[in-house]
Formats: sequence, C-alpha cells, structure tokens
Amino acid sequence: MKALYKFFKSAKLAVIIILIIAVLSIISTLIPQGRDAAFYFHTYGAFWAQVILTLDFDDFFRSILFLIPVGLFFINLSVCAVDRLVNRERRKARRRYGPDLIHVGLLLLIIGAMFSVFARIESLVYMGEGDEIQLQGRYLIRLLDYEYKEYANGRPKDWISTVEVRRNGELMIASFPIEVNKPLRIGGVRIYQTSFAREDRAQLRDKDGISRPISNGQGFELEGAVVIFRGIEGNTAVFEQWEDHSRTAIYRTGIGETIGEYTVAELGSRDVTGLKAVKDPGFIPVAIALIIVAAGLTLTFVQKRKDRDI
Amino acid sequence: MIATIAFAAMIVSGVIQVIYLLRRQRKIDPFSHYILLAAAVLLLTVTIDRSIRIRFVAVTNTFESLVFFSAVIALVLFVYRLRAKDRTIPYINFGATMVAIALLAVASSPIAPKDVAPPIPALQSYWLVLHVTLSFIGESFFVVAFICAIYYLTTGDEERKKNLDRLTYTTIAIGYPIFTVGALIFGAVWAQNAWGAYWSWDPKETWALITWLVYTAYLHTRFVKKFRGRVSAVLAIVGFVFTIFTFFGVNYLLAGLHSYA
Repeated sequence: MKALYKFFKSAKLAVIIILIIAVLSIISTLIPQGRDAAFYFHTYGAFWAQVILTLDFDDFFRSILFLIPVGLFFINLSVCAVDRLVNRERRKARRRYGPDLIHVGLLLLIIGAMFSVFARIESLVYMGEGDEIQLQGRYLIRLLDYEYKEYANGRPKDWISTVEVRRNGELMIASFPIEVNKPLRIGGVRIYQTSFAREDRAQLRDKDGISRPISNGQGFELEGAVVIFRGIEGNTAVFEQWEDHSRTAIYRTGIGETIGEYTVAELGSRDVTGLKAVKDPGFIPVAIALIIVAAGLTLTFVQKRKDRDI
Repeated sequence: MIATIAFAAMIVSGVIQVIYLLRRQRKIDPFSHYILLAAAVLLLTVTIDRSIRIRFVAVTNTFESLVFFSAVIALVLFVYRLRAKDRTIPYINFGATMVAIALLAVASSPIAPKDVAPPIPALQSYWLVLHVTLSFIGESFFVVAFICAIYYLTTGDEERKKNLDRLTYTTIAIGYPIFTVGALIFGAVWAQNAWGAYWSWDPKETWALITWLVYTAYLHTRFVKKFRGRVSAVLAIVGFVFTIFTFFGVNYLLAGLHSYA
C-alpha cells in the first residue's frame, strides 16, 4: 500500500502519464473520428483498419485506450493533491495554495466531463414559422419569426429565431430572440441557433381523401420498399425508392399525379431554422472546475511573484 | 500600408541586432528594441484601425491574429530588453525577433487574406476576443522560452545554461496561466455559448490541449531531478512547435470547427 502510494505521488509518473496522453491524442487527430468501418478500410487498408477499429481509434476519446491513462492521471493527481496537503501540515512548509486549487479544479473537471460524456443529451429540430415543439413535457416552444441577415458583401451577419415559450399552457416568455452566441435557457435546457435550411413540402392525399404532409427526407412504405421524398425540382416532387440499402428507382411526380396510393395535391417550400436543444448535467461542475483552476493559476502566479520565483 | 512599415521596422531591428551580435567588442546595441516597440505600436494601430472598420475587435481572421501576435511578441521583447541583466538577452531577442518576422511574413503572404470583413455570427462574442487575445499573449512568452531552450541546448557555458534554464522557466511560468485561461478556459466558455458544447474534440481543440499538456509536463519536470535541464528544454521546444502547429498546421492539414482562424 505504501509502495503504491509512493508510486502514485511521484511527479515523474505525472510527467510520463501527461506525455502518454499527449502522444495518444496526437495519433487520434491524424485519424478522422466517427466514420463508418468502410471509410477506414478504404483509406488505410484492411490491416490498419482492423487495428484502428479494434483499439477504438475511430472513437478515441471514449475508448479504453484514452480512458485508462486519464484514470491513472486522476489517481496520480488525487494522491499528489492529498500528499501536498499532508506534507505541508507535517513540515509546516511555506503555503502555496495555488497548485492545490489547480489540482482540485482539474479533478472536478474530469468528474464533470464524465457526466457530460455519459449524460449529455442534444437534439436538433428544424422549425418553420408557427411550428411548435414540446420540451420536457412541460414547455411548449413556438417559432414566431425567423430572420436571416447578411452583410453587404453577402456574408452571413445573423440568424435570429424568435420564439414564444409556454409552461403548462401559461405564457412564460412572450418573445425571445435566439441568436448564435445567445442561447435561450429554460428548465436546465439551453436552446441554440445552429443552422438553417430550405424545406420542401409535399401535400399527399390518399384514396380516402385524407391529406398527409411530407417534408424532404421523410418517406413512406410502398409495396415492401421505402419511398423517400427528396425535394422539389421544377414543378415535380422527386421521390427515391430504396430496397435493402440500395436505391431502386427515382420518380418525378407532378401535382395531380399519383405515387403508390397517394396523389400529390400541393407542393411548396419554406425557410426553416435549425435549433439545437442541449441538456448537459456536466456543465455546472465543469464551469465550477474552470473557475477553481483559473483562481488557482492566478494565486500561483501571485505567490510566485511574491516569492521572486518568477 | 502601416502593417508593411511595421514589418520593415521589425526587419531593420533584426539587422541592427545581428550586426551588434557579430561585432567583436560584444557591446549590447542601445536602440534596436525601441524599433521593436515602434513596430509593436504600428501593428496595434493596424488592429485598432481594422477594429473600427469592422466594429468588432479585429482578431477574427488569420491576418489579424498574426498582426496581434507579432505586436505582443515585440512588446514582450522590448520589456525583457529593458530589464536585461545578463549577456544572453541580445541573443534571445534576436531569435524571438526572427520568429516575429516569420509570423509577419506569413501574414503578408496569400495564405492570410487581408479583406476587412466583419465577423460571421459564430465569432460575434467577446468570449472569443478574450480567448484569442489571451492565447496569443501567453504564446508570446512561449516564443521567448522556445529561443532560450534552443540556446540552452546549444551552449556549453555552464553559467549561461543556468541563466537560460531560469529564463525558460520564468517565461513559461508567466505564459502558462495566461494561455490556460485564454486558450482553454475562455475557449470552452465561448464554445459552450456558441455551439452548446464546451468541448468537442475538434482537432484544433485537441491540439491546444496537447500543447497545454506539454507545458504542464514541462512545469512538472522541474520537480524531477533526472528531467531538469535537458528534458525540460526539449519540452519547451516541443511545446512551441505544437503551439505553431495548433495555429497553422491544424488549419491547413486537419479539418475542423476552427477553419476560419
């Protein structure tokens, strides 16, 4: 036990672990992350693709290869933090609390980051003017207005999605402009302006005369195959038929024409805004950790100046 | 135009420094650092002028970043030269002036477009301004540490080695907290506000972290007898090479979120 304590409190071990994490991270940035297996086989050949996939280098920062050194770093840092404290009491040494704060802050940061890795949820929704979405069962968000502003040279200046929020049916926020860098916060969830798109819509009518609206990317079943609405070209709706992961046909259907059991009744398009809702239980501990680290760095700096160390 | 004059001033300062370094009587030149100061003031004028024109702090593209970075390096060198106590300073000043000249050469090349354009929505955040400016201020001290470390590894003079080791340490000890707060902490706050994720393992973020890890390792080598000296100096050099790679290499060799700066 004593030997283990001595092993983990060593600064030499800290330097070595830090450098191992650095080297592994370098390798990870040379290999594109999160692609499908085919990409790695195509780019690196069968042998290296196998190595990358076996070692999870395609999802490196969640892999054992990364998490084990981080775990060791965590233990090393914890033991050092405790040891510094104990030693200082024993030796009545000069008090430099800055590094202690940095170490504790980093430990909290790792814990907070783990919450983010395993419990963070995000979802992207596209909304047109007048659309509504439910949030956490209690909130109803309705898009009042969506505006895109450009500079004179055509570069984007701003995207603004103005929303109304109701809680349990009661008006909570009458109007809030969500902009890039200005998210909306409600009930532990933040909503970000993320993207925008042009959405094509087709109004389909079945044999009984019931209409069914469909947006690009959505689809329906047709004789065992899936038909996806791709968008509008000219005055026709473009549909793709897919069977067993391969495209088997393309249909161009005008207004009044039929596809399967449906008749295309109307075609139109509209601007939609991409809003991202994020719930991250790791954010608060991480934010506190960052404040502690910043305070620790400042204190270390001040104390080093005072001691004429720098 | 002002940037070109600043660039020329920087070169003139470098030439004066090298002339004095090659002269036999080893006299420290009395005025090249004032030319560096003038270059810094001119470069900051460029930043202010562009800021007024785009109505935002002008650190939102590669050219503007390089102008700011070089200005801060020149200021740091000016201050170190004023406080100079030992004979190594003129050599360090010269090496670091060369780094600043190289950065300005990149700024004047077609790699860095000079359009005066207001920032796109993601960059319209004062967290970004703090992120960029503090990162470069921290990195300016890393430039000095880098030159000291190279000098340390190449000189045989023990007295000089001791001074250089000390100067490498002090510059990193000043640059490290500024870099950590600017690059990593304010960077995370900005990312959280802009994209809803304080960290996304984008290649530039990862390389900034790798750079930080190297300097963290450097600071801890000071507690390990075996590592002190040579290993420390090597890490100070690697740290700066990674700093530059994070700035340029990631943009041109790896793809990611930071493709605009």
